[in-house]
Amino acid sequence: MGEREENRDLGDDIAGFSRGPGLPSHFYFHVPFCRSKCAYCDFASIAGADPQAVFAVFSGMEAELRRWGVSMLPGVVETVYFGGGTPSLHVPQVLSVLECVHRDLPLRAGVEVTVEANPDSLSRDSVAALAEAGVTRISVGVQAFDASVLQLLGRCHDSRQALDACEAVADARLELSVDVICGVPGQSRASWESTLELAIGTGAKHVSVYPLSVEAGTPLAVAVDTGLIEDADPDEAEAMMLIAEEMLGAAGLRRYEVANYAVPGHESRHNSAYWSGESYAGVGPGAHGMVDVATARAVGILPPGAAEDTIRVRYAEATNIDGWLTGGLEVVELLNAGETAREDVMLRLRLATGVSVKQAREAGLEDVMASLAEDGLVERSVEADGWHWRTTRRGWLLGNEVFGRVWNGEG
Amino acid sequence: MTDPNLIRNFSIIAHIDHGKSTLADRVLQLTHTVADRDMMEQLLDSMDIERERGITIKAQAVRVLYEADDGVTYTLNLIDTPGHVDFTYEVSRSLQACEGVLLIVDAAQGVEAQTVANAMMAMNADLEIIPVINKIDLPAAEPERVRHEIEEALAVPADEAILTSGKTGEGVRAALEAVVSRIPAPVGDASEPLKALIFDSYFDAYRGVVALIRVVDGRIAKGMRVRMMATETVTDVEEVGVRRPVHMPVDELGVGEVGYLITGLKDPALVKVGDTVTLEKHGAADPLPGYRDVKPMVYTGLFPIDGDQYPDLRDALDKLRLNDPALVYEPESSHALGFGFRVGFLGLLHMEVIKERLEREFDLDLLATAPSVEYHVARTNGEELIVHSPQDLPDVASVEHIEEPYLKSTILVPPDFVGAVMELTDGHRATFVNMQYLSKTTVEMHYEMPLSEVIMDFFDQLKSRTKGYASLDYEYIGYRTSALVKLDVLLSGKPVDALSFIVHKDKAYARGKVLTEKLREIIPRQMFEVPIQAAIGGRIIARETVKAKRKDVLAKCYGGDISRKRKLLEKQKAGKKRMKNLGNVEVPQEAFMAILKVDE
Repeated sequence: MGEREENRDLGDDIAGFSRGPGLPSHFYFHVPFCRSKCAYCDFASIAGADPQAVFAVFSGMEAELRRWGVSMLPGVVETVYFGGGTPSLHVPQVLSVLECVHRDLPLRAGVEVTVEANPDSLSRDSVAALAEAGVTRISVGVQAFDASVLQLLGRCHDSRQALDACEAVADARLELSVDVICGVPGQSRASWESTLELAIGTGAKHVSVYPLSVEAGTPLAVAVDTGLIEDADPDEAEAMMLIAEEMLGAAGLRRYEVANYAVPGHESRHNSAYWSGESYAGVGPGAHGMVDVATARAVGILPPGAAEDTIRVRYAEATNIDGWLTGGLEVVELLNAGETAREDVMLRLRLATGVSVKQAREAGLEDVMASLAEDGLVERSVEADGWHWRTTRRGWLLGNEVFGRVWNGEG
Repeated sequence: MTDPNLIRNFSIIAHIDHGKSTLADRVLQLTHTVADRDMMEQLLDSMDIERERGITIKAQAVRVLYEADDGVTYTLNLIDTPGHVDFTYEVSRSLQACEGVLLIVDAAQGVEAQTVANAMMAMNADLEIIPVINKIDLPAAEPERVRHEIEEALAVPADEAILTSGKTGEGVRAALEAVVSRIPAPVGDASEPLKALIFDSYFDAYRGVVALIRVVDGRIAKGMRVRMMATETVTDVEEVGVRRPVHMPVDELGVGEVGYLITGLKDPALVKVGDTVTLEKHGAADPLPGYRDVKPMVYTGLFPIDGDQYPDLRDALDKLRLNDPALVYEPESSHALGFGFRVGFLGLLHMEVIKERLEREFDLDLLATAPSVEYHVARTNGEELIVHSPQDLPDVASVEHIEEPYLKSTILVPPDFVGAVMELTDGHRATFVNMQYLSKTTVEMHYEMPLSEVIMDFFDQLKSRTKGYASLDYEYIGYRTSALVKLDVLLSGKPVDALSFIVHKDKAYARGKVLTEKLREIIPRQMFEVPIQAAIGGRIIARETVKAKRKDVLAKCYGGDISRKRKLLEKQKAGKKRMKNLGNVEVPQEAFMAILKVDE
């Protein structure tokens, strides 16, 4: 992450529109299919889709890829990510899309290609095939190594499968990333610490730690509402996050973002793009993308009558498969320069290195940062490119307070 | 102008939900006053709020033409009345314009508290009472039992009670026949100078104040110059007419007629309900008997969340008071909440309805503080103080004694629930007076209790403990001394005057404890710890703490989460706006009402 920053002038980040349209450096493919829905899931995915739908979606992805390719926009692709849903359920189709990626898009040498996988659908053969096709990272959705926690979460795999899956990835010499969840109702400290130990034990150089959030409308929410399950103590989740930071830190994995830990040099370059204001294309039902206004205009994403002062466009492809197949974009958000600048500062504050003081000042947030500093939520630090604002430990945990004040521009 | 002999002025009175309004609808349909296709359920309840809650608040007057069995067409003026205990005042106003009433009793529920109260009012007004047993279509209907109840409980002969069903329309014609044959025609002198009673009014943005009138003597016509006897206002009659239910102008209204009067006057203060309209020159000598001034029973503080809306709130209250003379208000200021009004209502329902109207019709965002009553404070220096707001209560040291309003409440329940009622009243400082069996299935219980106990969700509790069977009516009986103290609430060590309330000293500790616990649940966790304390005269009697927030972060923030997250942050900011910031503590509106829901 460090090297890219040096080559970039601050002006380029915010005034991207003056550079003209360009190919997004990052491509995200959303595979909206799962074997079953987990109890806490409120993402865009469906369980038990019929083969026709699967076929149609992947064909549609390839068609969209071709359109990007044909657009002949300047630039190279630095990262590719297959998320979902459960991409590992459909390895052959993923491989086919990867072929198209190689064929239709200009890729940087050493392009990072990540595929998300669930332990119950990742065989050694699949791993081998993915590695062969140029996949460089596999993110395994372990969530927990404790059977009772797995059951409460409604996961369809067990500890053994999880460990095996991680081993398969490590053996194939691919980068391994492990996802774990804390703050689960009924999850004890001991269980959490043991999960962390096992995660570290897999040799993964990248771990994501998520405190569970009970989303309305999910089976988990219903269970909590009806008293079937007692809601987790929010203070427990906080304690667990701190434990994770300590244990992972001791194992050489440094926290580089709110929820992400890595051995330095092994951070997820794709995800880092989200927090650095870099453009990315979203492909697939429910996929999100973000491009500058010139690019949006060039590929027909910009709606007619869009405000003159728009410089950033966030779009979302239709979540409903039928709607997506007929080419629907569900949402298009237009941001002006001021909003873009504040959004960039907000996103960078998710990173442990934070945001440069200069960038925050140029976004008109000097007073807000000063006030956040007074409240002990951010502090100054020195990075390669000078003075930065970064969140303190308290600011990390009370992130929404920081992000809210930055986005809403209030001191 | 109609021959008075062919006029019948009547009201429909009943306990709430016994079917007045449906019956009124049937009357309109039967007399073809409203074309069937225009019939909207319960047309007379023209206010949205009324329709939503299924209650009638405003007395509305409609003229219908009914061709009776004897072949003659009669002019019937139907005045719809509210059935809730809060609106006794409205009922008595409309009764002044009638000669008789249809007394509706639900065939399954039987005689309930307001059936009795309203019947008493009709009797006191010397009106002819025609009992009507309604909802006979229900499987649970027991007309014979109810007939007995009417005779026993009300001493009203019920052998000729009319059986009706508002739903099917059965018996409605018979009811109208009874109106024609049993209710006397209005009596008055056409040759005497004009005397017309204003029994209601409302404000129309284009026409000004519209008064609903009943002509007692003489006549009133367009172009006449008239005088309002109480306000001494002289004005021209711009238009008179009848409500069918839409306005239909006529040349003049004569003895016994009911209709509307438009004078072009815009100031509500000049057209008072209860006033008598007469001629400017050679008018009547004495006005008609007006009504007693109704005393508000319950007070609450209404504050605009945004201080800028204060003038809008004031204007809105002025407009509402026009057709609701029971509404009283005076400016009030609170350290915590800024400028607002202390408003007096006839009861809790009245309060809720007014608050809703203010928010809906006038688009105001309001904060209501817990209701309280009017206290009479005698100070040690001999001074007498009237206190509406707990923050006006002087130092405990300078107070000789405090008096609070007392009520006589009447509760009707089936015998099975007598025990439950006694338990409830026990916890509400009520003294048992007496009890009697109105019938085999209904017991009437009388208590004397402070009004302040009733306004604390007493009615809801009564209903739930008696599975909905109990009904309540109450009557103000004067002031009594009580051992009362003021409970203060402090947030982060600072007293919040808007959260103070007055409580009986025996209950202070318990209430203080429950209140601090409730506030701890309601006040969201902030960036710092918030101690909540309840105190009496500086002495802390209960304490709770809202822990500081330690974690509040959306951990997953990838490509698809960014927009959603930003919207969430904006929503959180908007949410904060609905809270009141008191000394850095964000307090939601519910906190102020928490006092009301305190249960022992």
